[in-house]
Amino acid sequence: MSRLSIRALCVASVGLACLSPALAQAPGVSATSIKIGTFGALTGPGYLYGKLPMNGVEVVFDEINKAGGIHGRKLELVREDDRCDPASAIGATQKLISQDKVFAIVGGGCSNPTLAARETIEKAGTPFVVFASVHDGITTPPAKNIFSVATTSTIESQAQVQFALSEGAKKIAVVSMRDAWGRARYTPLMETLKAKGVKIVADEEMTPDSNDATAQVLRLKQAGADAILMVLYPKPAAIFARDANKLAFRPLLIGQTGIADPAAFEDQVGVPGATAKFRTISMVRYTPEDPAVEKWRKAIETKFPGDRLSVYNQFGIGAAQVLAEAIRRAGPDLTQEKVVAALAGLKDFNVDVYPGPISCSETDHRCHKSPNWIMKEPGGPVKVLGATRVE
Amino acid sequence: MALFGRRNVLLVLLAVALVLPAVANSYQLYIGNLVLIYTLLAIGMNLLLGFAGQLAFANAAMFGIGAYGTGLLQVHFGLPFAIAFPAGALIAAAVGLAISFPALRLSGLYLALSTLAFAQFTQWIFLHWEGVTFGAGGFKTPQISFDPLPVSKPVGLYYLSLLVAVALYIFARNLVASRVGRAFVAVRDGEVAAQSLGVDLLRTKALAFGISGFYAGVAGGLYSQALNYVSPEGYDLFQIVLHKAMIVVGGMGSVAGSLLGAGIIIIVLELLRAVKGAQEIVFGGILLVFVLFLRGGLISVIQRYVKGWDEPLHAAPPRRDEPPPLAVPATPVAERAAP
Amino acid sequence: MMLSYILLSGVTTGALYALVALGIVIVNKATGVINFAQGELFMFSGFLAWALHVQFGIGYPLTLVLAIAGGFLLGVMTDRIAFQPLKNVDVVSLVLATVGIAFILRGVARVIWGGKGDYLTFPPITSPEPIMIGEIMIIPQQLAVLAGAVLIMALFWLFFRYTRAGKMMQATADNAKAATLVGIRTDRIYALAFGTGTAVAAAAAVLAAPLTLLYPDMGFSFFIKGFAAAVLGGLTSLPGAILGGLLVGIAEALAGGYIASSLMEVSGFVVIMLVLVIMPSGLLGARRLRRV
Repeated sequence: MSRLSIRALCVASVGLACLSPALAQAPGVSATSIKIGTFGALTGPGYLYGKLPMNGVEVVFDEINKAGGIHGRKLELVREDDRCDPASAIGATQKLISQDKVFAIVGGGCSNPTLAARETIEKAGTPFVVFASVHDGITTPPAKNIFSVATTSTIESQAQVQFALSEGAKKIAVVSMRDAWGRARYTPLMETLKAKGVKIVADEEMTPDSNDATAQVLRLKQAGADAILMVLYPKPAAIFARDANKLAFRPLLIGQTGIADPAAFEDQVGVPGATAKFRTISMVRYTPEDPAVEKWRKAIETKFPGDRLSVYNQFGIGAAQVLAEAIRRAGPDLTQEKVVAALAGLKDFNVDVYPGPISCSETDHRCHKSPNWIMKEPGGPVKVLGATRVE
Repeated sequence: MALFGRRNVLLVLLAVALVLPAVANSYQLYIGNLVLIYTLLAIGMNLLLGFAGQLAFANAAMFGIGAYGTGLLQVHFGLPFAIAFPAGALIAAAVGLAISFPALRLSGLYLALSTLAFAQFTQWIFLHWEGVTFGAGGFKTPQISFDPLPVSKPVGLYYLSLLVAVALYIFARNLVASRVGRAFVAVRDGEVAAQSLGVDLLRTKALAFGISGFYAGVAGGLYSQALNYVSPEGYDLFQIVLHKAMIVVGGMGSVAGSLLGAGIIIIVLELLRAVKGAQEIVFGGILLVFVLFLRGGLISVIQRYVKGWDEPLHAAPPRRDEPPPLAVPATPVAERAAP
Repeated sequence: MMLSYILLSGVTTGALYALVALGIVIVNKATGVINFAQGELFMFSGFLAWALHVQFGIGYPLTLVLAIAGGFLLGVMTDRIAFQPLKNVDVVSLVLATVGIAFILRGVARVIWGGKGDYLTFPPITSPEPIMIGEIMIIPQQLAVLAGAVLIMALFWLFFRYTRAGKMMQATADNAKAATLVGIRTDRIYALAFGTGTAVAAAAAVLAAPLTLLYPDMGFSFFIKGFAAAVLGGLTSLPGAILGGLLVGIAEALAGGYIASSLMEVSGFVVIMLVLVIMPSGLLGARRLRRV
């Protein structure tokens, strides 16, 4: 939104805050603080991608504030719930922008709500860093002020297919959830497969609450699949791995960031050895057990007693570090345009939790392109296999 | 007529609603629009459950069908909103008519479960009929404009919702006072008795389901434009809880209560944003408090204390001296157990 | 071979549904209502057991006993809060009150356990390695679930048939007024019904958790499936609950195995719609005479 129309809005809404000259260009900024909004599911099943990353954002802000803030301004986080519901996400972002008057937003859990809210945020011109939603439509075609540090679904799909091919798979099959989360990945996955000329031998489906995968396993076994791309949450994936093991079906199991903790996954499957051929992508560099994230584990577990640091927390940690860096680079005379420009100009910026550097540009707002392959030998430690670079 | 009579209060509310766009920010306008849309849903639900006594769980499905119908007719056939919107509502009404046939044989919890199953089935269609519905990813609806009227889209849409809500509110008021409305109540209070009075059960139930479906469908069409986006999770079981909560909070068997309930629930949900992360706990608690301490809904309280609130209540009087109502609402247990 | 695996998986999944359905039927048998928080009570008891067993290291038998006791208390609380004050009002209020409780339980579980990981694992009582029975591989815990469901059914069948409390429960369900007249404290009977219904859910959760994993939102899908199973079986029949659960499970497995796995989720609902339209009082429900 241009400055002119923001002024017009100020006049129209008779907001007193607008009359103070220092704030004319930058909502949510005072001499001592910057208001940052976040939205995602605080309640309902989507909380993994909402509440937990927000906790990550919060500990980063705490750390920055303890060190004196950014150019003397403390970061203040305003949380809004979207219940993973598109209508509620629009309400949440409208509130953040026109009522709370936040300076920037870091958030976006479930994909569909974030996609629905895109228009509101784009129109307002508020700088927005997506921390967890992976739907391509959020960043493609790019909106001037919206950047994603989640590996978008196209990037992950390409990585999954490349990985299967590089492991010598001949008969690739897909088992997927077709809810909003699964569908956001399933469609680009199919497109990638088509583009690479790969014909899949079977295409099966599970629901997030599935308790049995015998039928799916039998069908995949009949099709003779040797690599299975799993577009599943950890629960159905664990059920699938368990039943595949039961039926002595042992193909390569290829996961994605939804199942980003192989150690937890081994527990969830619960059958020794059933995860021996499981490989997955981590959007973040370390599994939560890695000593290298010690600092953040301590921060999360002190601030939220009873919680343990999860990969979901790390989504938020990374996104918050990226946004904070952009605000820092925008300088003491803060405007939203400067932050947007700083985000677009981020080149090879290294963040504590991501496997590769963050690079955005004017034309490509998918800033995280280094999906990291990890695995766990049964009973052994988690091993990093290396990052796939996708263009 | 008393100063706080129903008509005066409603006129004041209408006046407030008319000037809202001039004073509200875009967030408040959006919430205002949602209140109007949910008023339609609550009235539709109330006609079916509060008046005709049919414990159905398919309202969210009708809401979805209206939204998908309106959106998809625009996307696939390039129809203008002005045609797609009423057509979507009529499709929802037709589906409502269709599910009234099983309702003829079922009552109480069995009707509840079969309509719940239907709602789940509809969700599954939204998710899996990908060629038509675009699956779980949903789709963006075409932008509509209110040219040549000098209003922006959100304001225009708000006034459209207001116009529709007022018209359908008046229609519902007249309906429940008519022969049809009395037939609804007769069916609710006893199907056999109603039949013996010459009420055509099939026709009456079909009308109740059809009209309720139409209200939900209209709401769906408006909702698709308010969001500019249609996807399955907007029409899931949480919506059923919302609609039911609205009429119980406002008052079963009262059209004005539907308005009240919709307004309160939507505003409460928004105010609950203040309790960050504890919404579901507080929302559950509020539901309990309303149900436990405000039986008959707010409208019964208003009717008791405010003179001139002359709406004839169609709610059945609470039966305090009887054993629990079993599966069938509004049917005394003694009768049910009798041979 | 394929068919036997499919049928077996239908039976083992169905046993999970049957466990939930039993709790629903026990409450319905005495009170004539459906507790919409049943799924959440199942979930919450599961988390309680997890806390006792995994966090505090309490042994398995004691965990089971404590979870059942905790479930009983939760059930009695549900009765006192939602059912007693509302039993004479209307069904919709009652449904909403139990839905309110469901929201609260889900929210509280999320606050307490939601930060501990996405899906919590509960160690199985049996060996995790699959075993061979004839030509078929099966996971021992699935047999435990099946056995548990049958055992619970048998216990309650005996309870309703041979104990005073069981007979009082049935008398109350048949005609509460008459039951009061012959001196039955119906309010206690209702509390007992909700208590035992939830205690069954707790036992079910301990048995099922190793297979289903624990997460705050697991209750709803189990409730829907359990509700479906209970209705198929006629809502008041204990063997009906088991039969209904197995039928829903088998329908899902057959649709998934022979048609398409996308049909698994919806096949249960299609069966319900058909059965209810053709046989409105379920498979084993008492035929109700049309009231005049």
